[in-house]
Amino acid sequence: MTGFLLRRLGHAVLMLFGVSVLLFVLQQAAPGEFVTEMRLNPQISAETLNALRSHYGLDQPLPTRYLRWLNSVAHGELGYSFAYNVPAAQLLWPRARNTLLLTIPALLISWFIAIPLGVLAANSKSGCINRLFGSSTSFFLAVPDVLLALLALMLALRTGWFPVGGMHSDAAAPSGMWRGFTDLAWHMALPVAVLVIATVSPLIRQIRSAVLEVLDSTFIRSAKGNGLGRLTLLFRHALPAAANPLVSLFGLSVALLLSMSFLTEVVMSWPGLGPLLLEATLARDLFVVLGAVMLSTVLLMIGNLLADVLLYTLDPRIRMQG
Amino acid sequence: MLRVIRLSADYETGRNQPVHALQNVSFEIAEQEGLGILGESGSGKSSLAQAVLGLLPQNGAIREGRVEFRGTDLLSAPAGELRRIRGAEIALVSQEPALALNPVLSIGTQMSHVLEAHSRMNRAERKERIAGMLEDVGLTEPERIMRAYPHQLSGGQRQRTAIALALVCRPDLLIADEPLSSLDTVTQAEVLDLLLRLKTDLKLAILFITHNAGVLARLCDRALVMRAGQVIASGRLDQLRATADAYVIGLQFPETTITSRPRPAFNAPSKPVLEVRKASKRFVQQRPFSRKKFVVKGLEDIDLDINQGQTLALIGRSGSGKSTLARCIAGFEQVDSGEILIEALQASIGPQVQLIFQDSGTALNPRFTARELISEPLQIAGKGTPAERTKTALALMEEVGLDPEWSERSAGQFSGGQRQRLALARALAANPKLLILDEALSGLDLPLQAQMLRLLLDLQQRHGLTYLFISHDLSFLPLFADEVAVIHDGKIVERKPAFRLQESTDPIARTLIEASERLHVPGVEAFS
Repeated sequence: MTGFLLRRLGHAVLMLFGVSVLLFVLQQAAPGEFVTEMRLNPQISAETLNALRSHYGLDQPLPTRYLRWLNSVAHGELGYSFAYNVPAAQLLWPRARNTLLLTIPALLISWFIAIPLGVLAANSKSGCINRLFGSSTSFFLAVPDVLLALLALMLALRTGWFPVGGMHSDAAAPSGMWRGFTDLAWHMALPVAVLVIATVSPLIRQIRSAVLEVLDSTFIRSAKGNGLGRLTLLFRHALPAAANPLVSLFGLSVALLLSMSFLTEVVMSWPGLGPLLLEATLARDLFVVLGAVMLSTVLLMIGNLLADVLLYTLDPRIRMQG
Repeated sequence: MLRVIRLSADYETGRNQPVHALQNVSFEIAEQEGLGILGESGSGKSSLAQAVLGLLPQNGAIREGRVEFRGTDLLSAPAGELRRIRGAEIALVSQEPALALNPVLSIGTQMSHVLEAHSRMNRAERKERIAGMLEDVGLTEPERIMRAYPHQLSGGQRQRTAIALALVCRPDLLIADEPLSSLDTVTQAEVLDLLLRLKTDLKLAILFITHNAGVLARLCDRALVMRAGQVIASGRLDQLRATADAYVIGLQFPETTITSRPRPAFNAPSKPVLEVRKASKRFVQQRPFSRKKFVVKGLEDIDLDINQGQTLALIGRSGSGKSTLARCIAGFEQVDSGEILIEALQASIGPQVQLIFQDSGTALNPRFTARELISEPLQIAGKGTPAERTKTALALMEEVGLDPEWSERSAGQFSGGQRQRLALARALAANPKLLILDEALSGLDLPLQAQMLRLLLDLQQRHGLTYLFISHDLSFLPLFADEVAVIHDGKIVERKPAFRLQESTDPIARTLIEASERLHVPGVEAFS
């Protein structure tokens, strides 16, 4: 198990290195940098601009900049934000925490809903339940995430049941832990709901088809021949046997959720990585963009690593290979 | 106990015409009786087993008839009632134990689920019953087997486990659907002995489905013979043996297909086609970042030769190295030491050696037409114009007993036996010096095997062909092979003229011979 984990971690580090090099090259290829817009301002002299560029190290060749950045990563700063004049890490960490606050509950809730529904859908291969599942999941698949987020905002505005964006009410802050917690949960409800609705449909479909495939196999038929009940058959025989593709799907669903979360955060003004990334990209705040992308890569890798570990514990055949 | 009355079932095929899997099948089986169902592949015998328990695949449906078990009609019984009977009173053991066990649940868990479904035992009682059952089927370490997953067991252990799983609730009727087909000869004999013992110990009635009449004699008193979904004969085994129906005779005595005409003798002055001298092959596995090497011995100092026009049968259990040798001779692998000569020349990949595999369904591209498949070796060799190649292909089809009218059908449209003939025609097109038949008949039922062997013998006589026949069983062996070599752990342990194999004193050869005798393998009588 440790050997398996170490190998996977080694892969992850190599991958992060590759992603960072790629990002550096890409941002070099993109037109413009942080000081480009200042050039349009006649009040800022060319000397000041050059001084700024050398202050930020933008005049250095690409490899030097990359090495400097690596050094700063080693110090836990992740580079420097031009726009805010603080180490990028200071901006990124709280934002990443807020993003996780949305994605982790959304991930858990959507899988919690999708597994029983998916198995149920596989069980009723024909008939009205199947049609209901089919049409409702394709409906939600077809609705764009932005529209879902906007609809949620509209609901909040019209009814006043939920706060319109943000993470805290001003009043809640000083009045104790419990109030703070319920206030946070109240603010989280809508964005999490949007994420769950958007992810749960593809999950149900995948689970349904994975379980359906297994239900067709000989060993399920023989288990049926041994007189096992329908529920045992579905949840204790078919579901574990179908787990293999589903666990890989778990890793993918983390990626899906992250990208959807960025969008939802922007629309519903949740102070996560999404709005920060957008802002920093527009301002060409290089290291913040870099940091945000790297952080989401790390989150993605954690998701995949988790999937690998799950697979290792669930499937005896993979455990054999070590 | 079980009474099946005028049962008919269809399969939807997507086309307009449903396939009639069962037509008007009626039979009875009494308490503790053994009833055999004999038929070639595609005769509907597996569908019958599934239909009795209401386990037909999604596209199958019962058209009419009744299945009465101790007075209850299973076809109209409510789901709960049916579930109570399945496993607890009627159990099913199917052909391929590797597919019949859930790959991700341990054996103990799977057996425990069955007990939970049918009894109110607590955990300790269940464990005790499971361990006892595993011992009953001859597994000596029940604790280890309970914790094991199916892929950690050997083929024989898996089939024993599958039988234990079926019998753990002490049913009174066992439906065994070709339970021996996927096992090698020695294991087959062991599992057959086990079924016999369980039948008396547990007072079981057994419905035994097979294409191999030899094994029925020990387990059953009566048998039904099925063909194309219909019962065409039934009665006591000795009555069936006395029948005049050619199909029934062919099923019971497939060897008559071979012996009906005298064995052709090839009398040309014989020179060796294949010479294998001290051939050895080892497989070394090494994992990345690891210094440990796993050395698997493939072949050890193999000496072998076959003269032109002769047949050498190479017999061995699974994993004995017989396919490795075939691959080395065909030139797919290189030996580490020693040499392999074809007509005194170093062996290499080429048309002089042709291989026919067990499953030609996967060895032939299903999208190619029969004509394309057969003429491809000619095309590669650059022989003839397209018109000439087509002519040769059609002639070859006729020679292997395929209708040349079918030359434009794709390989996927042929049945298993016909595909094997197609593979043979394709191999012959290359005009080989040596034909290696690597378990080429093992996937076919016995009557079809006999027909193929008859064809191979005729072709040998006509063209002076040389065969290396590789198999795990001794079926028909003395009827077609000149010599037999027994291979075990990469070494040739015995080599004798086929008709004198019986005299062998080698323990491995003896195990094979005795297992074949217990199974009444066709043709085995010719040894003595």
